[in-house]
Amino acid sequence: MNQQTEDFRKSAPAPLAPRSINLPNPSETVLPNGLKVVVVEDKRLPITSFRLSFRSGTANDPAEMPGLTAMTASQLNEGTTTRTSLQIAEEVERIGASLHAAPSADFTTVSASALSNYAPEILRLMTDVVLNPSFPENELALAKQNTLQNLQYQRSQPDFLSNEKVAQVIFGQHPYSRVAPTAESINSMTRDRLVAFHRQMFVPNNAVLIIVGDVDQAAMMRVVETLFGKWEKGETANPSFPSPPVRNERSIYVVDRPGSAQSNIALANIALPRTSPDYFPVLLMNQILGGGASSRLFMNLREEKGYTYGAYSSFDMRKLTGAFEATAEVRTQVTGDSLKEFFAELDRIRNEEVPAQELQDVKNYLTGVFPIRLETQEGLTGQILATQLYDLPNDYLATYREKINAVTASDIQRVAEKYIAPDRMAIVIVGDAAAISEQIKPFAGKIEYFDASGKSKELNKTMNNSAGNTTAEGTWNLSVSSPQGDLPISVTLKTESGNLGGTINSPLFGSSDITGGSIDGNKISAVSAVSFQGQSIEVKINGTIEGDSMRGSVTTSIPGIPELSFTGTKAD
Amino acid sequence: MNSTAATPKLQPIPVEQFTLDNGLRVVMSKDDSIPVVSVAVYYDVGSRNEKQGRTGFAHLFEHMMFQGSENVPKAGHFQFIEKNGGTMNGTTSTERTNYFETLPASQLPLALWLESDRMRSLKVTHENLDNQREAVKEEKRLRYDNQPYGQVFVTISEMIYKNFANAHSTIGSMDDLDDATVDDVTEFFRIYYAPNNAVLTIVGSFEPDEARSLVEKYFGSIPSQPKPAQIDVNEPAEVAVRQKTLEDALAPFPAFLIGYKAPPRRSDEFAALELAGKLLYDGESSRLYQKLVKGDESIVQLFGFTDERRGPSSVLIGAIPKPGHDVKQIRQVMFDEIRQMATAGPTAEEMEKLRNGLINDEVRGRQSSMFRAQRLAEAALYDGDPNLVNTELERMLKITPEQIKSAVAKYLNTENRAELDVVPAEEKSDEE
Repeated sequence: MNQQTEDFRKSAPAPLAPRSINLPNPSETVLPNGLKVVVVEDKRLPITSFRLSFRSGTANDPAEMPGLTAMTASQLNEGTTTRTSLQIAEEVERIGASLHAAPSADFTTVSASALSNYAPEILRLMTDVVLNPSFPENELALAKQNTLQNLQYQRSQPDFLSNEKVAQVIFGQHPYSRVAPTAESINSMTRDRLVAFHRQMFVPNNAVLIIVGDVDQAAMMRVVETLFGKWEKGETANPSFPSPPVRNERSIYVVDRPGSAQSNIALANIALPRTSPDYFPVLLMNQILGGGASSRLFMNLREEKGYTYGAYSSFDMRKLTGAFEATAEVRTQVTGDSLKEFFAELDRIRNEEVPAQELQDVKNYLTGVFPIRLETQEGLTGQILATQLYDLPNDYLATYREKINAVTASDIQRVAEKYIAPDRMAIVIVGDAAAISEQIKPFAGKIEYFDASGKSKELNKTMNNSAGNTTAEGTWNLSVSSPQGDLPISVTLKTESGNLGGTINSPLFGSSDITGGSIDGNKISAVSAVSFQGQSIEVKINGTIEGDSMRGSVTTSIPGIPELSFTGTKAD
Repeated sequence: MNSTAATPKLQPIPVEQFTLDNGLRVVMSKDDSIPVVSVAVYYDVGSRNEKQGRTGFAHLFEHMMFQGSENVPKAGHFQFIEKNGGTMNGTTSTERTNYFETLPASQLPLALWLESDRMRSLKVTHENLDNQREAVKEEKRLRYDNQPYGQVFVTISEMIYKNFANAHSTIGSMDDLDDATVDDVTEFFRIYYAPNNAVLTIVGSFEPDEARSLVEKYFGSIPSQPKPAQIDVNEPAEVAVRQKTLEDALAPFPAFLIGYKAPPRRSDEFAALELAGKLLYDGESSRLYQKLVKGDESIVQLFGFTDERRGPSSVLIGAIPKPGHDVKQIRQVMFDEIRQMATAGPTAEEMEKLRNGLINDEVRGRQSSMFRAQRLAEAALYDGDPNLVNTELERMLKITPEQIKSAVAKYLNTENRAELDVVPAEEKSDEE
């Protein structure tokens, strides 16, 4: 670091001469039964990818049976008229290939890939599971059981709770509001229902088959015609859905996760569909605001403030409509401060013209990463598939970079004003409700509380009832102020023949029993030995109870750690 | 079915290597199919190099590397890469800390300028250190403290390994992070971020002569440093702790994880265990999936992987049982399947599946210039020979059913294992 700085180091070097990219040349054919087939010869490596996509996704689930599309798709691999589930798994894996089916909101895609020497074989297997699934009763029963358990598992994850609440409040009665099936709906699924749904949904005239790889186009088309030629045309439905609700005010929805170490914040509003002519300006505007690690939200909330590991924004643009969302997982005690910074950034991009250099930077980014996405066959296949499914123009990939470069600063401000609505935003926070309720009050007139099952709950009962009788027994969620930020501790107190016992729980040191405790009027004292980084340390809690709240201090035997104060409430 | 289709012939990945006078090892691999270039810098420092009381340093340091250097402002690294159309990141493991970016091919000088500036003149200040400490703590809360089962891998590692260098987690402890001083971090930088402790790889579309002179221009004048002290990662054969129960307030169901000690990477025995793992727990045709998820219908999720290290490595197998199914019984079924593999070995069909799977994975991985850059860097750093990337597939394909059988017998069919049970912490008392 004491070397003389060579002059060439003082500023970023000029780029070398640009190198051109060869874009693929897809060949399109439509079979008499309506199946559209797109083949791209990609000879870089001896592998081939297949995508068979149907224009029907989870939004097309019957209203009374959410999850039916996903269940039907997941069961394709579980048996056909000539193969058992095990045979399918073994045949696919024996050739080192993959074969899966999964829906998005608007489309259901069966994906397969293999070494090119096995391409005809994996395509035959793919055809079999798509055309001849047998939906065995035992496999369906098992999948239902496992899905029910997974539903329960998802509820333990803060991301899921956040996505679920955002979708509910933004999309209302529109089917995009459903992010997971219900237990009732899973329980009501029968084999007959899957068979009928499969017959209705998996029709060639509602599908596109993409083949990308080290193949010969003409030879591949002959295989495709043999395998899919006899597949019969069906009816395609074009259902109409209720519109998403119109929001007139800003409100906060808190999903209470007592003891949560962080608040998962999401600010959301309804935005635009993928096919909107505003697609490119929105792409750029979002990149400026929160698309990446040099965008404004990240620079502010992580790099300047250190509130979070990452803060981002995104536009989820689907076939019919879409949502804007800005998100961060922040530590509990800066939940309110983070909201303040979020709104400052949303206002700035709406009210101030973006500086020319910043606009040029995101243009460089989006045009530069475009070829990186085409490096892998999966990436290339994904781009071609999106072009087909959203009916984008044939020159979409060829003109992508021109369209990016044509966007102006006033376009950016126009779409920011149009698609970001701070005054009508839904703020969803998954976190410790008791610890954040005061911080978030200034940000909306209306605050609603929910528990992790999605049910509405009353927070006020536990928070404001200080005059009630004093009962130490029960579980207390405490927030300890430390130099490292607030630490959640949960204390369960029990009185047994006049002595105070119970447990202390903390994400920092797990759970430990209270070994010495006393209670005197509304004052409690509890001592426990906890394991912390391999050492046993003593923790002592002295608290004063007023109704359903407790305040006091914590002392530990760790040298150099001062007495720490805490506040908290009783769990209901 | 036709299982004799010809195996595709893979072109070798071109490898050109040289070492600068300051000890920086450079590997280049040209490929003009897409106009992008990937650059990776691997430093030979990971959590294995950390001392007691200083855990989490290697990872904290990874964050510091994005905080500015003499000619690159704080957070400028992200911005220079992104505003020139690239993607980048850095990661820390037990073995190494890596930094990498993929850019339009014309931006190779930018990548080399950025990587060289932080290698020679990183800015370690109080302000940057405090800020990144907070970011790391949020990362810890996000990935470990606030997730169901978030602590299991940290815990199992402490149960498998006795040697502190191997046992402690990469994320480290909050207390150790708080104790980090600017002096500690500066010293860490001097020792481990020297050119002679690093490998630089460049993969993609470039002219080799031009690339080489750019590397010399940007990295040539960075002084080398004395070699870092040797570290001892030796382990006794026995696991440190055989059984432990972890209460997890966020976990909705009980779960368990079994950890086994394994030999170092690139040994034939480790390769054999990797292949055995594929047969036992990878994919829907695997033995444990068919036995437990399908046959017995006793678990809802199965997972397993090998933790690959230069020193003692490990194999982990775990499951989330269904409610009402006995964890002990499920584990016994796993042990029985392992014993079966240890006595009868894999079948001919399974060997064919391994063969095709290995070839497929190799070809698929090679698509991305970044994947190739990382593989080349690992081979150069760990094994001293980047050309090994071209013989690795062949080496794996040579492993015999007999080798798989005896590796399973030696390392997995044994009571020398760590069993971690996760139980949901007690429900809140007065909730009906």
